[in-house]
Amino acid sequence: MTDPSDAERYPTLTEEGKRMLQRLREHRHAPIFRNESGNRLTREDVETVRAFEREVVEAVVADQREESAPWLAEYLARVYREVPFYRAMGGAPRRLTDVPPVGRAELGQDVARFVPDSAPVERLINFRTSGTTGHPLLIASHPVVAASYLAFHRRALRRFGVTLRAANGDVGVVLLGYQRKCFTYVSVTPTMDEAGLVKLNLYPDDWRDPEDRRKYLENLSPEVLAGDPISFVELLKLGAALRPRAVLSTSMTLLPALRQELETTFECPVVDLYSLNEAGPIAAFDANCGGHVLLQHRMLVEILDASGKSVPRGQRGEVTLTGGFNFCLPLVRYRTGDFASLELRGAEPVLVGLEGRAPVRFRTHAGEWLNNIEVTHVLQPLGLRQFHLQQRADGALLLRVAGLARHEAGLRATLLGLFGVEQALVVEELDGAEGKLLQYSSELVP
Amino acid sequence: MDQEGCELSRLMRRITETPPEFLDEPRLGQHGTVAVSAVVGDLCHWHGIVPGSAALDAFAVGTPKSDRNRLRVSLLLSWVLAEDWFRSLDLRAAPLIPLLLQGASELSEHVAVEKLVSDPERREELARFCLARLGFRPLGETRAQAEDRLTSLSAAERARVLRASREAEARARAVREALARKAAEESADKYTRE
Repeated sequence: MTDPSDAERYPTLTEEGKRMLQRLREHRHAPIFRNESGNRLTREDVETVRAFEREVVEAVVADQREESAPWLAEYLARVYREVPFYRAMGGAPRRLTDVPPVGRAELGQDVARFVPDSAPVERLINFRTSGTTGHPLLIASHPVVAASYLAFHRRALRRFGVTLRAANGDVGVVLLGYQRKCFTYVSVTPTMDEAGLVKLNLYPDDWRDPEDRRKYLENLSPEVLAGDPISFVELLKLGAALRPRAVLSTSMTLLPALRQELETTFECPVVDLYSLNEAGPIAAFDANCGGHVLLQHRMLVEILDASGKSVPRGQRGEVTLTGGFNFCLPLVRYRTGDFASLELRGAEPVLVGLEGRAPVRFRTHAGEWLNNIEVTHVLQPLGLRQFHLQQRADGALLLRVAGLARHEAGLRATLLGLFGVEQALVVEELDGAEGKLLQYSSELVP
Repeated sequence: MDQEGCELSRLMRRITETPPEFLDEPRLGQHGTVAVSAVVGDLCHWHGIVPGSAALDAFAVGTPKSDRNRLRVSLLLSWVLAEDWFRSLDLRAAPLIPLLLQGASELSEHVAVEKLVSDPERREELARFCLARLGFRPLGETRAQAEDRLTSLSAAERARVLRASREAEARARAVREALARKAAEESADKYTRE
């Protein structure tokens, strides 16, 4: 199999676009780009994505009741007709609640069973999930799906008064990573008049000179900075003079202290997106609504208990998704492994108290069990930017913190206050380059 | 098929008129609404049959992923077997439970319950299947004619299912291969990454 050519990676590339790619790749402070990628959008695709962006911006996200989703019956009928996994169960049920939920385990066994007959095989692309819960996933997708993410970013940013304007000659977005090994490349975005797109790794090994990181970013002056909290912690260390119009945070919990620091430094909205490879951007945090506001109008979010039953509104449970815009992987009652309650704030559906992955319980020295939310509450006033708390099988706690020096004494006192003064506790610096990590984990079984 | 039964059209009409409740979701654990074992129990009671609790349990166990269609076919068969012509018969010695259990299982392997109602050939197959498993042939047909027609209907459907299954496997293989290609690995641009 031959490598794809630039013509395949950028089917609509113009001379201006070529110049942008050259600038991004060949800048004297540019990093070592380790990979190739592209938008892969044909002219027809570009029109499809633009039309979708117009639809998403205007759409109303309903109250998440089955009766408020007029698209649902046809969607279920199509899924049960076209998707092998569901077709094997017979005809479509009349009620969504009659569909057995699925999770990462089912997708992980054989994702091909979840790809509908109508998905064009020759244009399939994949995204891999990190597998922090023990089920690494390969997700089937399509260039139009990947490009459609921007529609939801635009919708989210509109809440904060930001309309993206980057165009030819500008850099639209820099996606930041901070990992020992990271997929990096340059591209252009056809729906934004070929504004530049760069995915780079702030890890020093990817640069000829660590100082180049600041210089390159300052030269690009991107309209949007996107990344995860670990990469943002590293970005702040660079002291780069950047004026993005927005910062988009994904992948991990964005703690309030880091958000504040980013907002103060860059003087722009910092939007915490709840986004999954399986479903794209699902919700954006808005403090005025007290949670993550849902973004997708053709997605139904349910909150399920452990047995798979829908819980009453306002009660916590597992975020479960039906619908979405990835036509290569239509989801039906997909259990995300993330937990929140669903509430209406005005007319808007909001995920409140969203926490990645299942709640973790910790055992105090006295043998009492605490929910991780109690740890969150006591640590909140310390303004940590990034941390991970693990309880080992022998009950000892290991707390790893980004920027430990500033917090160590306060941290010890706070955690021992909660767990008991005799609690075994090790506190150490967090090395963010380990990649995506969960906030809490435990080897103990309650 | 030693005995002559009722007109085939009568049973096919009965199938067409299946009420939505008989196409509803079988209760399995926390899922579904219809207790198929209770429906089967009622049907047996009408026919003077006393099924053991173990026999009825078979209509209440399983998972939605593997047993949903089987139990929905059992439910549909219960509706057909409650037709007046069947109720006028003495079926106490007839293999009613095997028809509802193993018979449903056989049918469910190659056809979704909706198709047994909506597709004329599958309706005919279902009507003939019910009669045949209870030892009857359609009114006005010889045994040979009835056997030939049922075999041909089932064989055609089984061949279609086999073909579809081969095509589905080929498609799944193509999807797996497409996802494993380097081009797919390179993916495509997103404004944010998870």
